Amino acid sequence: MKIDSIRRAVRSVGLILPLTWSGSALGQMQAGANAQSYGVAVTTATLNQKSPSAVLQVGGMMAVDRASDVTVAELVTAQDAFAIVSGGGTDGSDAVSSATLGTVSILNGLITADGVVAMASTTADNSNAEGSSLANLVVNGVQLSDPAPNTRVDLPGVGYVVLNEQIATAGGITVNMIHVVLQQSVLGGYQTTGSIVVGSASSSVN
Amino acid sequence: MSNLKTLAGLTATVAVVLIGWSCDARRNAVAPTVGRPLFHFHVFECSPLKITGGGRIDYPPGTAEKNPPASHIYETFGAHVIASGRVDANGICLADKGELEWVDHRPEMEINGHPLNLHATSVTFAELATDTDCSDGAAHWGGKLRVQNTGQEDLDFEVWDCDNGEPGVGHDGFGIAVPAIGYEVMCPDPSLPPAEPSCTLTGGNRQFHPTH
Repeated sequence: MKIDSIRRAVRSVGLILPLTWSGSALGQMQAGANAQSYGVAVTTATLNQKSPSAVLQVGGMMAVDRASDVTVAELVTAQDAFAIVSGGGTDGSDAVSSATLGTVSILNGLITADGVVAMASTTADNSNAEGSSLANLVVNGVQLSDPAPNTRVDLPGVGYVVLNEQIATAGGITVNMIHVVLQQSVLGGYQTTGSIVVGSASSSVN
Repeated sequence: MSNLKTLAGLTATVAVVLIGWSCDARRNAVAPTVGRPLFHFHVFECSPLKITGGGRIDYPPGTAEKNPPASHIYETFGAHVIASGRVDANGICLADKGELEWVDHRPEMEINGHPLNLHATSVTFAELATDTDCSDGAAHWGGKLRVQNTGQEDLDFEVWDCDNGEPGVGHDGFGIAVPAIGYEVMCPDPSLPPAEPSCTLTGGNRQFHPTH
């Protein structure tokens, strides 16, 4: 009688365990960590450029890109740009991304800074942009220190800039430290003609 | 059908025994010495581990507070390590794989006008630290790296990696030493026995992943 019980128990383990393994594997496949970051991105009618740029591959754990100098036409120059993204691999439970830059000049000095850090971090329970910062930021001749999230400053004749832009995304966050929206006036308002983003980091877990 | 059920049961039993055996800690294994005494994380075991993530440290002083941005006193990094608890003939806990990218933005650390950039070329050892205050898990790991600015290669490095809950900022920690070039970002706190050399993150997260 005892032997029969043991055999039944062993059979149960043998049949149930593989089911739990499958469920676990399925769970891992469904979870996903996403992270991307870049130093400079310019989008206009004639330009579409992003550099340096790192994107976490599906199931990946790290990606890095770097550029000593970034120059995009007359729109942006930046030095010492690094893009680093990391994630939990197949676990898909965490993601961190960062973009850092040294000296930055946008629109021939209309906006300057000499230290940009964009950082986004996501786990199952939390997303934040802690660690992000702007050093010696000057916008249109005015020094701004430690701008609050989503600070907007108008740029007459150009458009406007959003500083420390933080956008909640599905399961995560995107932070753009300097986001210039290029506009031109049209009858009755303004039309967006392009954008310049310096220091962008995104992370999410879905 | 009865034979198939018996076979399935036996297979599962063998698998369970193998997994249990694979989880046995080998406590005498140590990391290779890379030029300095391991006086911080004191007690290690060679167990499966996985730590991922990245972040920012403002060292010095390496506390939870950010330095003024204009000071440029901060470091940023991405790093991960995976180990399955294997030990080599010398008793070294082997890492399965890992990566490290480290950027030190301090002006005094610049080389030829550019931030110091360290890039791991291999991660060779990783051991679980069991006596730390890191609530979710900690590890001491390292390998070889290259100084991207100069091309210096095959430099030993070691890191102290701490997941101390969520969020990572203000809780988790990371420290690094590259003895051959006299470089270290370490924040030992004698008031927290055992003194832990990892500096507190001011951004990002370290994530210790349960392996079983």
